[in-house]
Amino acid sequence: MNRILALLPWLLALALLAALPQVLTVKYYLHLSILALIWVIVAQGQNLIQGFTGYVSIVQAGFMGIGAYGSTLMGLNFQWPLWATMLVAPLITALFALATGYPSLRVKGHYFAIVTLAFNLIIVIVLVNYSELTKGEAGISNIPKPWGGNREAFYYLALVLAASLTLLAALIARSRVGEILLAIRQNEDLVAALGIAAWKYKLFAFVISAMYAGLGGALYAHFQGFINPEIFGVAQSLDAILAVILGGSGTIAGPAIGAFLVVFLPEILRFADSFRLILYGLILVLATIFMPIGIVGIVKAAFARITRREARHGG
Amino acid sequence: MLIEILQQTINGLAIGGVYVLIALGLTTVFGILGIAHFAHGSISMFGGYLTYFLATSQGLPVLAAIPVALLAGFLLGVLVEILAYRPVRNANHINAFIVALGLTMMVEGINLQLFGHEQVVIPTGLTRVFRLGGITVPELRLYVIVAAIVLVVAMMIFVERTKTGQAIRAVAENRDAAILMGVNVRTIPLIVFGMSTALGVAAGIMVGALFAIAPGIGEGLVVKGFAVLILGGLGSFPGAILGGTVLGITESIAAGFISSAYKDVIAFVVMILVLLIRPQGLLGRAP
Repeated sequence: MNRILALLPWLLALALLAALPQVLTVKYYLHLSILALIWVIVAQGQNLIQGFTGYVSIVQAGFMGIGAYGSTLMGLNFQWPLWATMLVAPLITALFALATGYPSLRVKGHYFAIVTLAFNLIIVIVLVNYSELTKGEAGISNIPKPWGGNREAFYYLALVLAASLTLLAALIARSRVGEILLAIRQNEDLVAALGIAAWKYKLFAFVISAMYAGLGGALYAHFQGFINPEIFGVAQSLDAILAVILGGSGTIAGPAIGAFLVVFLPEILRFADSFRLILYGLILVLATIFMPIGIVGIVKAAFARITRREARHGG
Repeated sequence: MLIEILQQTINGLAIGGVYVLIALGLTTVFGILGIAHFAHGSISMFGGYLTYFLATSQGLPVLAAIPVALLAGFLLGVLVEILAYRPVRNANHINAFIVALGLTMMVEGINLQLFGHEQVVIPTGLTRVFRLGGITVPELRLYVIVAAIVLVVAMMIFVERTKTGQAIRAVAENRDAAILMGVNVRTIPLIVFGMSTALGVAAGIMVGALFAIAPGIGEGLVVKGFAVLILGGLGSFPGAILGGTVLGITESIAAGFISSAYKDVIAFVVMILVLLIRPQGLLGRAP
């Protein structure tokens, strides 16, 4: 009974999201919703390494870039069909993540964050300067879109992918692997002392998280039809971190909610015009100081308080 | 070849000096408070813009504008500590990092509001060039190197020789013991933030005079600063000095001999290699 009750909000949210394109009259909101769904995928990946494993990676947007450029360039140079390149993009990203994760996961905490940040900068520098392949800062336009650019169809594609990858993240979190990842977050030395090769699990989380980003990036490229290096900069990696923190780190609903926030919040703040950046920063600072457990954490705490009170009244 | 290497080394010393100043601020904040102060680069940029503004539209001589900007930096640092970092003092470290990100956005936004989005060069009027057996050293570059050395030495003397400096080191070493010994742990972070930010502003002014400052350069500066910390060892003073100098020279030689487009990549690769061989940094204590 309890399990079905726990699933109820998810089914409700899914139903709402499925009905959304029929309700939205402003085309631009549909556009933003698609971006938000892509960001759900990216943020769920980020949560695996940041929220569950406790390693704050700042290269998620760089991995998105690898997925985006990978898929685009394979289509452009090898004339592969769009679906094939989108499927292969996360695999290419996984290779990069293996190569970068192995050295960077040897260090912890701030070191790890800074090393991954350096990787993101390297990716952008290479994308800008290797212009024979990537067309440099000008970027690549006219990237093929599925269904001739039909937005509604793309929305459902993004929804199905975001939902199934959220489910996959939940399954990983509940598996033995997920338990070990949580244990690493809490006490890595203890995990090692139990004879578990922690590095394998960390690398697994890092690579899977990168694959999420790679798929997100490929989706982004074939949705927007245009990519350039700037889109995959450190600022966007920070957005992925924010999505996880604002929503609720180490929860499954958190990154999904946070993804919608980081896409819609800057739009909502558009009224502030040139003060937008200041306001966005201020909201971040205040949110971190006053609600550090994220939205999901606050809702859970409130819910727990209500049920406790009811239990007391009942008893 | 040898002359070219010497030339690039001297070029590297100037930019290395900038990195050392940035890194000293970051490493002191990190050592005392355990905060990765990501907004440091943006505040440095802000200081550069402020100096430019004072020296041009306010008509102040550059030599008068610089101390004003340094003082403004000190006060800004104090303010940042009280308003932004103190509230998350006892929370998870990632929270302070997120606060730093928010601060970065705010500083960038405020900077755009106040000074616009033009790229500017601080007018110093120092255009003479010294020649020394095939090596050319612009006067300005020499002064930057000297100023960086003076600031670093002053900071070292302050931390090593004064009572306040002793208290700072005590808090870094063992916060609880420092409290028991009567160190005021509420004012120490204020001094640390103020001084670190002033050093950052000095670095921003140097970048503005040597090259140019533009919105967004703060990110590059702070990342280089962190790279220096990793090279030298987090929280280590001599490490920051060595790391900054090494990074500046490596970058300069890489730009001169390999590729200027990829000089940052080379600098980061060096950092990652050091990390792989010596995870605690060149001069860091073994964990």
